[in-house]
Amino acid sequence: MRPDGNVRIDVERSILQSADEAAAAIRALLAERRIYALNLISSPGSGKTTLIEALLARFEGKGGVAVVEGDIETEIDAERIRKHGVQVRQINTRSTCHIQPSRLLSVLREMDLSETRLLLVENVGNLVCPAEVPLGEDARVVLLSVTEGDEKPLKYPLVFRTSDLLVITKIDLLPYVTFDVDRVRRAARAANPAVEIFEVSATAGAGMSGLLDRIEALRATKN
Amino acid sequence: MHELGVAAEILDIALSEAERRAAGKVTSVRLRVGVLRSIEPENLSFLFEHLARGTPAEGALLEIVEEPLRVECEACGVSEAPSFTWECPRCKGTGVSVTGGDSLSILSLDIES
Repeated sequence: MRPDGNVRIDVERSILQSADEAAAAIRALLAERRIYALNLISSPGSGKTTLIEALLARFEGKGGVAVVEGDIETEIDAERIRKHGVQVRQINTRSTCHIQPSRLLSVLREMDLSETRLLLVENVGNLVCPAEVPLGEDARVVLLSVTEGDEKPLKYPLVFRTSDLLVITKIDLLPYVTFDVDRVRRAARAANPAVEIFEVSATAGAGMSGLLDRIEALRATKN
Repeated sequence: MHELGVAAEILDIALSEAERRAAGKVTSVRLRVGVLRSIEPENLSFLFEHLARGTPAEGALLEIVEEPLRVECEACGVSEAPSFTWECPRCKGTGVSVTGGDSLSILSLDIES
């Protein structure tokens, strides 16, 4: 009993518990089917959909890629991916700025994943909310384009702390912008010493094969 | 606005705990929030107050215990920083790794029994 007559009860519970439970259910579903899942996070326009297209080209003929697109509104990204002839679902999150694990779980349960080996989840374009909510993924990939500025790891610390791969994109534009790659590398390593960093340009092709090789190798770990 | 989802989750947990203990009203919720979470306390309180209207948690206060950033510096050991940095707050070295500051949990509730 407290002086005001109220009772204090200890709870000690994570606020993200229900999201964590849904993420655990996704992880179990993926483990059972031996599907390797990537959660792609970045600001709008950093190159998430372009990376997905490059991965689809890499895995073409090898089969087994499924894609889930997250956006506030529209089916634009899903339509773009559908042209590649792969299974794709669009989640419109409306007022929510990230994909909720419960929503992803129900979408995955509706999909035919019998042939799927690699699942690519493109989160809603921002560096804040998607960082907070695990989706049961095997690896989290954060993309940062050089046009966004090199201070992003300072401004959005959590996403850089929780990502396994950092992909610095559009490096063909480095001569035209002020972007200190080493500054980003140092900050990202402080946030997460184990982070793997890639520098790529999808249009010029630089660095892409190394990144795609790495993702292919990661996927193979779950055979 | 990422505080909206967090506020909704806090309310859900508070209401289910209160119901489990047959409490009439929730008067206060204590939280631990790490600086890495980038939660704006005023925004969180505003959204919680709005969502809690018409529930047993209406008018409940959110008491936020801030968790500082914890960094481990190669040169000078463990340190804390009140705001976000990837440098050691003491020696400004960059040989640091972040070891804490991402809590997001409910510590306790005050209820009218």
